[in-house]
Amino acid sequence: MDKVTSAVRLPKDRSIRKGKWIGARVQRVEDPRFLTGSAKYVADLTLPRMVHAVFVRSPHAHAYIVSIDKSVLPGLGKTAFAFTGEDMREVPALIDVVTLETLLKTPQHSLALGKVRFAGEAVAIVAHADRYIAEDLAELLGQAIEYDILDPVPDVAAASKTDAALLHPDIGTNEVYRETETHGDIDGAFKAADQSFSLRFHHNRYEAAPMETRGVLANYERPDSQLTVWSSTQMPHFLGSIISGKLGLPAQRVRVIAPEVGGGFGQKMCTSPEEIVVPWVALQLGRPVRWIEDRREHLLSATHAKEQYVNLDVAVKNDGKILGIKGEFIGDGGGYSFNTESALIEPALAAKAFPGPYRLECYEETVAASLTNKSPAAAYRGVGWTASNAAREIVIDEIARGLDIDPADMRRMNMLDADELPYKSITGQIYDSGSYKESLDKALDAIDYPAFRAEQQRLRGEGRYTGVGISCYVEQTAWGSDSSAQAGTPLPSHDNSTVTMDPGGKVTIGTSVSGHGQGHETSLAQVAADGLGIDIADVRVLHGDTLTSPYGLGTYASRSAVIGGATVARAAADVREQVLRVAGKLFEASPEDLLIEDGIISVAGAPSLSKTMEEVAFAAYWDGGLRDEEPGENHQPLLSSTRFYDPPATYSNGCVVVLTEVDTDTGVVKLDRVVVVEDCGTVINPMIVDGQVHGAIMQGIGGALLEHLIYDADGQPLTTTYMDYLVPTAMGMPNMEVHHLETPSPFSIGGIKGMGEGGQVAAPAAVANAVADALAPFGARITHFPLSPDNVLRMIGKIA
Amino acid sequence: MATTKHAVDLTVNGESAQVMVEARRTLADVLREELGLTGTKLGCEHGVCGACTVIVDGRTARSCLMFAVQANGCEITTVEGLDTDGKLDFVQQAFTENHGLQCGFCTPGVLMSVHSFLKNNPNPSEEEIRIELSGNICRCTGYQNIVKSIAAAAAASR
Repeated sequence: MDKVTSAVRLPKDRSIRKGKWIGARVQRVEDPRFLTGSAKYVADLTLPRMVHAVFVRSPHAHAYIVSIDKSVLPGLGKTAFAFTGEDMREVPALIDVVTLETLLKTPQHSLALGKVRFAGEAVAIVAHADRYIAEDLAELLGQAIEYDILDPVPDVAAASKTDAALLHPDIGTNEVYRETETHGDIDGAFKAADQSFSLRFHHNRYEAAPMETRGVLANYERPDSQLTVWSSTQMPHFLGSIISGKLGLPAQRVRVIAPEVGGGFGQKMCTSPEEIVVPWVALQLGRPVRWIEDRREHLLSATHAKEQYVNLDVAVKNDGKILGIKGEFIGDGGGYSFNTESALIEPALAAKAFPGPYRLECYEETVAASLTNKSPAAAYRGVGWTASNAAREIVIDEIARGLDIDPADMRRMNMLDADELPYKSITGQIYDSGSYKESLDKALDAIDYPAFRAEQQRLRGEGRYTGVGISCYVEQTAWGSDSSAQAGTPLPSHDNSTVTMDPGGKVTIGTSVSGHGQGHETSLAQVAADGLGIDIADVRVLHGDTLTSPYGLGTYASRSAVIGGATVARAAADVREQVLRVAGKLFEASPEDLLIEDGIISVAGAPSLSKTMEEVAFAAYWDGGLRDEEPGENHQPLLSSTRFYDPPATYSNGCVVVLTEVDTDTGVVKLDRVVVVEDCGTVINPMIVDGQVHGAIMQGIGGALLEHLIYDADGQPLTTTYMDYLVPTAMGMPNMEVHHLETPSPFSIGGIKGMGEGGQVAAPAAVANAVADALAPFGARITHFPLSPDNVLRMIGKIA
Repeated sequence: MATTKHAVDLTVNGESAQVMVEARRTLADVLREELGLTGTKLGCEHGVCGACTVIVDGRTARSCLMFAVQANGCEITTVEGLDTDGKLDFVQQAFTENHGLQCGFCTPGVLMSVHSFLKNNPNPSEEEIRIELSGNICRCTGYQNIVKSIAAAAAASR
C-alpha cells in the first residue's frame, strides 16, 4: 500500500555483537541427554504418594449430562478419587481474551458442567495409585453417566441452518462472529476488471500431533501452600498466571515447570482444561496427581486446527494484474470458542495475512466463525496462514491457467519488489524487508524451470502426468505486541532474559522463551558467547521453569530467536560492560581500551597485560578493594543483568517449489522434489534453521496429502488412532533441498527474524499446485484437502 | 479389579532383574515404572509410532504391545544401554553430528531400530534406510537429518 519509513518505534541500538558463534553450524549442547534416554518429560517424573489420573470423556457429540453416579467406584474417597464438573463448579471457566465487541463468548468449564459439546470432552476425572486400576475405574464411572442426547451439529453448514441445535443456547446462535471490512474501492476494481475468478476451498481439519502427548503432574504442599505444576506446555509463566487466577492462589505460590517437551507446534500454547483440573485435584487431595494423555484421547480432545472455508473472488486484467480480491474466511471453532485466541484464531489471522508478498490495492475481507460439535480449534504452526496461503496460491495458479499466463510470471507481475520495502500491506502489516522475487527466481533456477516444462510436455505424450507447484510466502514473526496487533489479535507481550556470570567466570542464562526441540540451549548460548567473548561450553541456558526464568510468554509464533536472542544479547552486553569495568580497575586502564577474546581480557596494544575471565569475575565478587564506595545502580558487584525486549514485527519470506508425478490410475501423488528458498534475516545457527524448515515442510505436506480429522454426520470422530489419522513417515518424504537468502531485518535487534512456520504455511499450496498442474489436461480443480487418492480420482472424474 | 501377580525375570542392559507384575502390564510400563528406565517412550500405545521400540533377544519389539510376562527370561536392550559411561556410541554420535533429533521424544525408539537394522544391513541404500525407518514416526525433523544420520552411522561402522 505505502512505502513505510517511520511507522514503527525502533530501539536506538539494534546492533548485536557477532563473533565466532553467531552464524556457525554449532552442534546442539542439549543432545546428549536426549540420545542417552536421560531427558525427563512429564511422564518420566514420579513423586512419592502420587496418584494417576484418568479422564472420563463424553462418548456423545452433543448431550445434556443427566446424572453421574460416583458410588459405583469401589474404595471411593479412600483409594479411589473422582470429581465432576459439579465438584468444580466454583472454579472460573476458561475464556478467550480477544477484545472485539461483536465476538460472542463461550466460557468453557474445565470439566463439562451440565452439557457436553464434543465427543471426547472431559466429564469427570478419577485417580488411583495404580494407573491400570485408574483406567478400570474410569471405565466403570463412564458407564454410570446418564446423558440426554441432543441433535448434533457436525459442520459449519449444519451450524447455520435455521433449525440447528444450539451448542450454547444462551448466545442464541452457533455463529460467534461475522464482520466484513473493506479496503480500497473494491466495487471499482471489479468494474474495471477484464475477468473475475472464483475459488471455493475447504481446508482440512488436522492437528499438531506432537510425539509427546499432553501431560500434567501437580503437587500441592499444604504446609507451604505451594503448588508445583509440571506440564508439557510452551508457556510456563502464562500457564502459571492462569492457574493462579482460576484456583485463587497467589502467583508466587504457583510454580510451573515445563520439563522436556516432546514437541508443541502451537498446540501446547493455549491452556488445556486438563491443566486446570489436575492441579485442582492435587489441591483437593494434598498429594501428587499425574495425568498422561494417551494417543486416542489426544486425537479426540487435544485442540484441532486449520479447518476453514475460504471463498475467493478475484478481479483481474487479462495481462494477469490483480485489481482486487473479495475473501470470505469461515472458521470451524469446534465446541467452544477456545481460550486465549477464540474461534477467530484461524479465520482472522488468515484474512489479515492473505495479501502475502503481493501488491493488493483493493480487498474486502469477511471473517466468520461457527461452533460445531468437534474438539475446539486452537493454535498450530502457521495458524490461519496455512489455509490463507493455500487458497491464495491455488487461485493464482487457476487464474494463470485461465489467462494462459505462466504461473511464475503471474506471480512476478503482482509481487512486491525489494526496493518497495518496508511496505505497509492493505491489511496493515508492515513488511520490514525481504527478497520476494529473488526467492522465487532462486527456487525456479534450482529446478531448471524451462527444462521441467519441456520434459513435462514430453511425458504427457507418454501418458505420464508430472506437475510443478509454486508457493510463495511471507511469514509474520517476532510475535510481540506489534506483531500480534498486525495479525489482528492484539496481545501485549512481555519477555526477559537474565545473564549472570558467577565468581568462576561461567555464565548462566535464565530466559522466558521456553524450548521444546528448537535448540534454544544452543542458539541462545551462541548469542551470549559472542556477546561476552567466551566459549559456548561456558554458557548454560535455563528455561521452562518459572522459578529460574524471568517472566515472559514462552515460545510460539516464531518469536524466540528474535526475542530470546535480543534479550540475551542485551543482557550479555551489560555483563560485558560490568566485566570490563572491573578489568579496567585491575589493569588501571580505561574499559574502552580492553578486548575480550576466547575468554581472555587484555589491554589493546599490550597483549602481555591479560587476565582470564575467571580471574576478573573472581575479583568482581571477592576483591573488596575494587568495589565502588557506594555501589550504584549500574555498578553492583554482582555480574548480572536482566533485559526486556518487545520487538517490532518482522516478516520472513521464501518460496517452495514441488515437483510431482500423479498416477491417474490409483490417484497416488508422488513427490519427486521439494525445493525451499527461505530468508529469515540474520541466522544464529544454520543447522537449526534447516531442521526447522524440514519439519515445517513435512507437516505441510502431511496436511496436504494425509492428515485429516474426520467426523461423521453424528459428530462422531472416525480418526482416533494412528492407523486412521495418518502422519507422514520416512517413506513418503522426499529429500528436501533448502536454499538460503539473508536479508537482515532493519527493525529488529541483530536483524534476526523468526522462521519456524514458513514451511508449513507454504508447502500445502506447492503440493496442491503441482497436482493441479499435473492434472491440468483433465481440467482438475483443487477444492479441498487432503489430496488423498480418492480425492485425486474424483478431481479427474475417474470416480464419482 | 486387582489380579494375580507373576514373577518375571529379565536381563535389561546386562543387569538381571525380577519383577512381580500383573499379566496385563506391558513391558514398556515395567521398564519405565518398575525399573525406572524412562528413556523408552510411549507415543501411541497401539504399536504404530515406534517410540517404545526396544531390542528383545536381538530383535526389535514394540514394548507397548508386549506384555512383561511375555519377556520372561529375555535379554532386553533399551536406549540406556547404548552409551558407555556417558560416551556416545557410533549411532548416537552420528545423530548429534547430523542434527538427527529435535524434541528428542522419538529418538530412543529410532536409535534402537537403527541398531537392529544396521546389524542386519551395515551398508544400506537411502531407500532401504527410509523403508526401515518407516516404523518410527518423527514429527520434528521431516526425517531429512535422521536419514542423513543413519547413513553417517553406517559409514562410521564400516
